[in-house]
Amino acid sequence: MAAARRLKRVVASQPGFLNFKSSSESLSGRRKRVNKNKKKSWNKHSDINDVEEFLEDVRLQERTTGGLLAEKSDDSLFFLDVGQPKRAERKAEPIEGKKRKGKTPRPLRIDLILQQDSLIPAPKDVLAYQQPNAKKLRRISQKAEQLAAKGVVTRRQKRLLSRRPVTKEAKKSDTEANNNPNRDYYDIWGQEQSTVKDSAEDWYLQQTGKKRVKRPEKLSDRPSVLPAVEVIAPGGSYNPDFFSHQALLKEAHEVEVKKQKEEDKLERQLAVNKDDTATEETVIREQVEGLVEEEEEEEEDEEEAAHDEEDEDAEGGSSLAKKKTERQRKREKADKIKELRRLDSKRQMDHRQQLFQLRSIKASIKQQEQSTEDKQKIRKANQEAEKSQPRRLGKLKFQAQDLEVQLSDELAGSLRQLKPEGSVLKDRFKSLQKRNLIEPRERAKFKRRHKLKYVEKRAFRAIT
Amino acid sequence: MGGLQKKKYERGSVTNYITRNKARKKLRLSLPDFRRLCILKGIYPHEPKHKKKVNKGSTAPRTFYLIKDIRFLLHEPIVGKFRDYKVFVRKLKKAYGKTEWSAVERLRENKPTYKLDHIIKERYPSFIDALRDIDDALCMCFLFSTFARTGKCHVQTIQLCRRLTVEWMNYVVAARALRKVFISIKGIYYQAEVMGQLITWLVPYQFSHDHPTDVDYRVMATFTELYTTLLGFINFRLYHSLNLLYPPKLDSKAECELKEENEEDYALNSECYLEKLSALSASLARMVSSAEEEEAQLDQFPVEGEDMEKLEAREREQKEQEAQKKLFDGLKFFLNREVPRESLAFIIRCFGGEVSWDKSVCIGSTYEVTEETITHHIVDRPNASTQYINRYYIQPQWVYDCINAKIVLPVEDYFLGVTLPPHLSPFVEEKEGDYMPPEKVKIMALQRGEKPAQEQEDEEEEDEDEDEEEEEDDNDDEEEDEEEDEEESEEKNLKKMEKQRSQGKSLQVKVTPGKMKVENPERLEQEEKAEEKRLAIMMMKKKEKYLYDKIMFGKKRKIREANKLTAKRKAHDDAEKANKKKTRK
Repeated sequence: MAAARRLKRVVASQPGFLNFKSSSESLSGRRKRVNKNKKKSWNKHSDINDVEEFLEDVRLQERTTGGLLAEKSDDSLFFLDVGQPKRAERKAEPIEGKKRKGKTPRPLRIDLILQQDSLIPAPKDVLAYQQPNAKKLRRISQKAEQLAAKGVVTRRQKRLLSRRPVTKEAKKSDTEANNNPNRDYYDIWGQEQSTVKDSAEDWYLQQTGKKRVKRPEKLSDRPSVLPAVEVIAPGGSYNPDFFSHQALLKEAHEVEVKKQKEEDKLERQLAVNKDDTATEETVIREQVEGLVEEEEEEEEDEEEAAHDEEDEDAEGGSSLAKKKTERQRKREKADKIKELRRLDSKRQMDHRQQLFQLRSIKASIKQQEQSTEDKQKIRKANQEAEKSQPRRLGKLKFQAQDLEVQLSDELAGSLRQLKPEGSVLKDRFKSLQKRNLIEPRERAKFKRRHKLKYVEKRAFRAIT
Repeated sequence: MGGLQKKKYERGSVTNYITRNKARKKLRLSLPDFRRLCILKGIYPHEPKHKKKVNKGSTAPRTFYLIKDIRFLLHEPIVGKFRDYKVFVRKLKKAYGKTEWSAVERLRENKPTYKLDHIIKERYPSFIDALRDIDDALCMCFLFSTFARTGKCHVQTIQLCRRLTVEWMNYVVAARALRKVFISIKGIYYQAEVMGQLITWLVPYQFSHDHPTDVDYRVMATFTELYTTLLGFINFRLYHSLNLLYPPKLDSKAECELKEENEEDYALNSECYLEKLSALSASLARMVSSAEEEEAQLDQFPVEGEDMEKLEAREREQKEQEAQKKLFDGLKFFLNREVPRESLAFIIRCFGGEVSWDKSVCIGSTYEVTEETITHHIVDRPNASTQYINRYYIQPQWVYDCINAKIVLPVEDYFLGVTLPPHLSPFVEEKEGDYMPPEKVKIMALQRGEKPAQEQEDEEEEDEDEDEEEEEDDNDDEEEDEEEDEEESEEKNLKKMEKQRSQGKSLQVKVTPGKMKVENPERLEQEEKAEEKRLAIMMMKKKEKYLYDKIMFGKKRKIREANKLTAKRKAHDDAEKANKKKTRK
């Protein structure tokens, strides 16, 4: 601070100094007396405003005029006023303007504001011009030039040159996607297996992963005998014959009727039965249930009780059966033997009689065979028919898509006006299901794990 | 009674099956991955015969696989790739979360991918096996190629499908393999014969997609992934079988013709070539420049008796096919802008016709509307504004019907503004005695080489009144009027034949007490045959006779029903005609 003050005094004392501000004279009122023997108080109480003002002034001068005014020559500060400039000069200007055609584009005000108006040049950023290790690099390059002039190739360069170039293309083909539209094909069935190797080697190659495992033969037969593309019935033509169109309509109609019937049946089953609904009578009866005793019931009860008693008596009698006498036993035994003999003789008789029944037996056998054969045939036919049926492969049953049909008034007169019916995509998808290639499935339902929370947006809340 | 106690569900059919979830766990894959693997490898779920036994006493519905199939899957190298992919996704997510972009880039570069070539080879050991399974592949590729590029599936997949289908169509054109076409309300069915295999595919109409929500796109995309690979390899092989270059190149001559200044209007440079190929208007370049094709002659073997007949039949068939292949040879078509360009260009080129369209419709048009040599102009509007004298203006159905009938049909029924005859399905094959719509009868008569019968003369006259301008244009019409007199006599013949046909076999069986005609040995022979048949019937055993009667009754009933239908149809037609007349008055 003191230095600044001193500077001010020195400059101001010089004869040629001009001050920008006229009132540089400090208005000195009463000065407060403070001890300035300590650095702190000295710093605090010494007045440096004048110095600061002066320095600010110097900076302003430098900025606006490029140096101190006092040091400027008179010519640069003053000019001779000789009145208005001549006409010729005036005329010269518009010619230039004409050449350019139209007004010269005035710079935008924003550009003017942003323009640098200080006359002091910005300080140079030294670091921007410096190069790290410049000296070393320079030396290296100089040496390399020298060697090149001599024709010497360094070991480092040799190694670089001998390195194989990196083949990026090869890598790209490796990561090429399967559905790349420009992919190339080759003759996959061309190269047949040239030599049949022995099984041991086969096994070795399979186990070491060098050869693929053979595909089981059974996998090559199709799961359904249906053709891949089922052509629509002749009634599905865009301009169909009358009768085939009617036939197709009838078919579609029958499908609809069947659906309707099922729906009706379900509705009927779900309908409330009128007899089951409570009437006043039933309500009352239910309310007094058990309160009013009925005589008839009592009587019935009594009867039942009587029956029970009788049953008990009979059981008791059987348990107390008398012992059989010897004679009775013998007699029973003889009866038994007699019966057996009778049956035996009867059997023999039957056998003998069968000789005379040969024809009828034959007939019956034939009948039996015939019936089994018929059954076999039916079963075979069923099996054959089942081959073309969609199987039950999962949770859901196969549902055939709706028949594509255009009603008589929907039919287009010409190919131009034709409105396509149904979706080919769906047709293909259903065909895959029908042929048991994929299992019928429902679209997975979206399940929200957490409940949704509704919050008003801030901006919105401000309005409402 | 020693030994261990037998445990339930440890032997028998249980040991052959595995539930889906268990299989998935065994393979250590997520469910979508497992599904994809099964589709790619061609392993499908099975329905066991005794579900309760397999399901260990439970009756809950489950999906079962054969355990051997799953064991086979364990060897698949793609399983490893699936796991790699899972790890890749996890790493990528992590890198994203940490905003480590360099790591993301590095991971992206090393994204694990897999090829299906070995699976194709494994599933289809020979080329013919693959060809038999191509129906599905074609349907799927044609379907996917019509999808909008909106993110339902990868754009790349759509592009690849488009490329493959274009290649396929070009092959069918080059091989002239197309046999049948059917325009249905669903889409267009095509049938081609490639190396003796009948191949049917369905092409959806353009811009007709409403994406159904109950279709699993992931599953479909997986199928498509497999089928694009399959179709590519098949295309390669087919192209080489015809000595064509693969990937297909346009003929150098054709390429010069197709050069246009404003190519950039249609497509980017990169897509231009595919677009030109898909225009189908130019032929393809061959590997060996000699374009001369040798007509393969059937080897002749000395044969006798029945074989001879078979051989003759086969030869006849082949001749027919050759004739069909050259159906449109020498005809020049021009397509108006409202007709389905791709389908028509494809089928016309398949049968040797030349085709072009307005320059603003699509790339690859070869000649202008003003070309003098155009023979057929296909229009799908009630009337055309400017008409040239020396060409027919017809509706697109004519082309399709010609192909199905295997002959060039008379154009009169297909003029502009005329009510078209029904478009019959070529995939229906009528047996003897079945009902046939009159249009089909007419076509069959034409195929046999008979002149068409003018059944509806009065109606035609009305039509002529209507289209006076048309008559002025077509001088051919007048000639036909002159010919009508001749045709009338033939018409009678045909009517007689129809009558006979309607009465069917009963006529032949009947024996009439003969006036002897010495000059008619055919008739004699017939009679003899009939007599023989009668005798044979007389000599039949009771049981056989019963069966025979039953069969004959069935046949008669069929014929009767067919007759009823024809009568009905006639009544319907008459009613229609009357209606029309009324409305006119």
